[in-house]
Amino acid sequence: MIDNAVTVENLEKSYRKIKAIDGISFSVPEGEVFGLLGPNGAGKTTTIRILLTLIQPSAGSVLIFGMDTRQQSDKIRQMAGYVPQGISVDGELTAYENMLIYAKLYGLPSANRKKRINEVLEYIGLEDRANDMVKTYSGGMMRRLELAQSLINSPKILFLDEPSIGLDPNARNAMWEMVRKLRQELGTTIFLTTHDMVEADTLCDRIGIMDRGKLVIVGTPSDLKANVGGDVITVSAKNASLSEVIEQLGYQTIGEPSNGTADLLVKKGEKAIPRIVESFKEKGVELDSVFLKKPTLDDVFLKYTGSRIDDGAGWAQAKKTRMTYRRMAK
Amino acid sequence: MKLKRFFTSMLAITELELRKIRHDQSQIWMRLIQPILWLTVFGVTFSTIRVIPTGDYTYLQFLTPGVLAQSVIFVAIFYGINVVWERDLGLLNKLMSTPAPRSSIVLGKSLAGGLRGTFQALGILIIALVIGIDIILTPLSIIGMFVIIILCGICFSSMSMALASLFRTRERMMGVGQAITMPLFFASSAIYPVSIMPGWLQVIAVANPLSYVVDALRSLLVTGDLSGLGLDVLILLASAAVLLILASLGFRRMLV
Repeated sequence: MIDNAVTVENLEKSYRKIKAIDGISFSVPEGEVFGLLGPNGAGKTTTIRILLTLIQPSAGSVLIFGMDTRQQSDKIRQMAGYVPQGISVDGELTAYENMLIYAKLYGLPSANRKKRINEVLEYIGLEDRANDMVKTYSGGMMRRLELAQSLINSPKILFLDEPSIGLDPNARNAMWEMVRKLRQELGTTIFLTTHDMVEADTLCDRIGIMDRGKLVIVGTPSDLKANVGGDVITVSAKNASLSEVIEQLGYQTIGEPSNGTADLLVKKGEKAIPRIVESFKEKGVELDSVFLKKPTLDDVFLKYTGSRIDDGAGWAQAKKTRMTYRRMAK
Repeated sequence: MKLKRFFTSMLAITELELRKIRHDQSQIWMRLIQPILWLTVFGVTFSTIRVIPTGDYTYLQFLTPGVLAQSVIFVAIFYGINVVWERDLGLLNKLMSTPAPRSSIVLGKSLAGGLRGTFQALGILIIALVIGIDIILTPLSIIGMFVIIILCGICFSSMSMALASLFRTRERMMGVGQAITMPLFFASSAIYPVSIMPGWLQVIAVANPLSYVVDALRSLLVTGDLSGLGLDVLILLASAAVLLILASLGFRRMLV
């Protein structure tokens, strides 16, 4: 038990009649980078906020380094760092001042405050901008400062809620580099949420896929992708009823064919392509395009939930869910 | 140990707010304009027509404590808008993830609201002296004034934070602020004595914490009669305590 940074058992969180989290269980060993992957509204942020003792679970138990979130919230907060999805640094202050206030809130003794702040700012590469107002920062710098702010208390576990959301590719890479460095050099356990498959794939040791309040599957990125069961060949034909033909041919698909495209699941995709094109031709279907890719986490998501992580419906649904929560909370 | 932690957190939050004011002082100057107009336009006009009975004191003497109190509540009553803004950005979420007790965050913020009022009070006091209003200037009256101003700021900024947790959007809070400042102001002894109000308004004035702020300031700065000061302070402390508790309870709702 003690070896686990996070142990979650049968966690539930309901708002009136809506179940934001519907009975999830998982654990994260110390030193791991664990990611919750799922569309917005899946319950990832709610999970993080329960782990951080910001909100109470409706049922189930959460232990952080063996401590119960319901009983030892002060101790958990003291050893945790948090970079929320929104903005957490004040633009009307300098970077140094932002750090200073949090150093005080975490009760750092006044003798080490200055040293610790400069140390963290240097680590994160912002020491030369320490006395500039944060409102003059770029998005990427602001995010880095937020990371610095969450490191002020030398946390044993760091919670990152969508760490690279809204960042340009360069800033996103810089952020990823930072997270890897943290884990490597300081051994910090990192718990992150993301809807970005690439982020989950590159950063995480293990991933939990979350959809509509449920944890669908947990595993390493490579295991999850291997679980898809082969390569994905996307075929498209505008004027044919693909699903019928596919059924006749007996191909395995992930998800349902839609808009004249289908994702076929095959072993050794490169070799299968000619055979596939041929077999469709025999059934009188001229394919417009054939596309081979190695399975991604998106395919894993599709396999286990039946929808793509970033399809329009998912986002609209997420927005609706969020608005419902807000209305109910009022 | 716990208590020390509470005060460290509270003062850190106050420091945060004060540092923000230090970076942008223009708001303090802007907010001096309105009270100056109350004194120099409204006050001067009404003292020439002499329709408000103010006993042994000139109308401007009578009005100065009222304007002092008013300038503080007009700022404090909109304090909740900042909190809603910080909630929307995510700042509040982050603040709540620290080990700082929630009540220390609320108290720190309202104390900053109170301290912000002292800058304004100082400005108004100087202007009142410049235009020749006769005010009692002793160390006791000045320190007393600052204490009352800070208490007043704490009361009304916590009231505003409590309201913010109910109304939850900046737009609504603007409306709420507009809707309650004038009634608070008119149903107090700020610009006319309670004795000339109609009966029903007198009842409201007695229940209005602002009346006690004005009363305390008036006895410190104008009459020098401190016999009622103890009761005023007691009532203000009690109101501050109740409003702070309401604001702390409301804070939980802010983050659902």
